[in-house]
Amino acid sequence: MNIEGIFDVTSYRVNTEAHIRVVHERCAGCSVRACTFACPARCYTWSEERERVEFAYEACLECGTCLVLCDQGALDWHYPRGGFGVRFRGT
Amino acid sequence: MHKVDAIVVGAGPAGTTAALTLALAGARVVLLERAETPGGKNMFGGMVVACAAPEELLPGFWQDAPWERQVVKRVLTVVGEHSATTVAYHGDGSAADSAPAAARVSSDALVGTGLTLFRPRFDRWYAERARDAGVTLLTGCLVEGLVLQNGRVSGVRVARPDGVLEAPVVVLCDGTLSLLGKDAGLHQGFRPDQLALGVRALYRLPEEQIAERFGLVGQQGATQEFLGCTEGVRGGGFVYTQTETLAVGVVLHLDSLKIRCLAPYQLLERFVASPYVATLIRGGRLVEYSAHLLPEGGLKMVPRLSGAGVLVAGDAAALCYTNGLAQEGMNLAMTSGKLAGEVAVEAVAAGDVSAARLAAYDERLRESFVLRDMKTYDRAVHLLHRDRIFSAYPKMVGALMDGLYRSDCEPKRRLGRLGRTAMGGRVALRELVVDLVEAGRSYL
Ligand SMILES: Cc1cc2nc3c(=O)[nH]c(=O)nc-3n(C[C@H](O)[C@H](O)[C@H](O)COP(=O)(O)OP(=O)(O)OC[C@H]3O[C@@H](n4cnc5c(N)ncnc54)[C@H](O)[C@@H]3O)c2cc1C
Ligand code: SF4
Ligand code: SF4
Repeated sequence: MNIEGIFDVTSYRVNTEAHIRVVHERCAGCSVRACTFACPARCYTWSEERERVEFAYEACLECGTCLVLCDQGALDWHYPRGGFGVRFRGT
Repeated sequence: MHKVDAIVVGAGPAGTTAALTLALAGARVVLLERAETPGGKNMFGGMVVACAAPEELLPGFWQDAPWERQVVKRVLTVVGEHSATTVAYHGDGSAADSAPAAARVSSDALVGTGLTLFRPRFDRWYAERARDAGVTLLTGCLVEGLVLQNGRVSGVRVARPDGVLEAPVVVLCDGTLSLLGKDAGLHQGFRPDQLALGVRALYRLPEEQIAERFGLVGQQGATQEFLGCTEGVRGGGFVYTQTETLAVGVVLHLDSLKIRCLAPYQLLERFVASPYVATLIRGGRLVEYSAHLLPEGGLKMVPRLSGAGVLVAGDAAALCYTNGLAQEGMNLAMTSGKLAGEVAVEAVAAGDVSAARLAAYDERLRESFVLRDMKTYDRAVHLLHRDRIFSAYPKMVGALMDGLYRSDCEPKRRLGRLGRTAMGGRVALRELVVDLVEAGRSYL
């Protein structure tokens, strides 16, 4: 199985606004950066250039893993606006 | 005077059952769901144990419900370093063998059996049945918070022009990540050692190929659980059969995933590529990828179940467990939802929605199989938080079986000797004894 393909098959109704916000100042004390590997949708990436995690909300599966694993309280976490976000079809 | 008697948040199995129970008793009830259509945010393994709760509310329920296959075969595979060892349980399938789709067995006969299904289809269909029974269903409606008045839950906040919806009772069925339960002060927040992440890939395959690969006929279905396939992360793998698809996934304890610094999709990818899974899905087309959290904390994780003006049911109340062989959640959600609905009906009718009155729900849950089963398997849940079970032991089993089946013109060794060699360096005898004793206490 090609791992890349996996991120292209899920359906979304993408909102115009991000539903999760990273409060970058709070990331200072974080060494593990669990968000960058534990997010099942690869929404978080570490940017060497900007020396901070970058977050892209569009592919979010709304699972909550990042919220539970971030021990610095750096995430302003919400579900997307009603009716928006991921749409599982299951078929 | 309130316009409605009760508000239910979340149109999953718990919420829809709670709302349906209320409506059938003549209560005015609003069911709020953030997805565009119920089930659109929901994913499970999955096989539901067809429980009595919805059947009692809507006779014929399980016969009419959109399920996929009736499970007659349950397989457990322990993955070692160079081999996998499988135990398969195969019921005689008297109920499901050759029945054509049109002539399904009676609903009563389905209760207690395992049915595979898709949540987007099932949850939507179920919510429509609730609407038929008089429930006001609002979809695409996110509940942003609760309205609290003198320590009492008196309504919910929604992103609508009117903004606030009030009712004497609010039933929280917002799932594992119950932000609203926290709002209500029923729990203190989420703990990585009490939650697991499931990631799942769905593959489309011709119906006959699925039947052939799993040895099934007609509407028969199979489930297969894997232990030792998660690279040392506490968790496991699964393959579930639907009519024309296979759901393949891994479930990973969040604390363990964090310690090992592994990515869930990588573990899924390697699981899918392993010879034991690759042969099952060969030729299949990937059609969906999904992820969801589930409660894995046992009884300790169960929050306060009720308070003034509020009840909590299903995953939001952490009523979900695995004992290593079976994963049960949907049936506990429907059953707790029904009990919550019943208690809400009585409280509203009595005009008393105080914490003391609603605590009747806690009592009924304790009497029902829901909390009793969770108690029965609570030790097992904690045993399944020991790392050795997910890496050392599977490897040990693999080494032992390799030794048993090896025939290399060398004199054979007795089982005991093989066992000692298999343990070598992986587990200390003392640890093995401790775990065996605990396993005995958990399951016997
Ligand atoms: C990978 C995996 C495998 C599983 N396998 C099995 C299995 O094989 N068998 C089994 O029985 N169980 C299984 N489970 C568990 C099962 O899925 C749950 O126990 C069950 O879904 C619980 O139902 P619920 O109604 O309590 O919660 P959910 O099904 O999660 O429903 C909650 C609903 O509330 C909505 N919601 C949440 N917040 C809000 C809000 N603020 N406003 C409005 N709506 C909101 C959600 O969109 C959702 O529809 C599995 C779970 C996972 C993740
Ligand atoms: S885990 Fe939290 S604190 Fe650490 S990098 Fe990610 S968002 Fe920042
Ligand atoms: S909620 Fe889940 S999918 Fe969305 S960003 Fe967080 S970890 Fe990733």
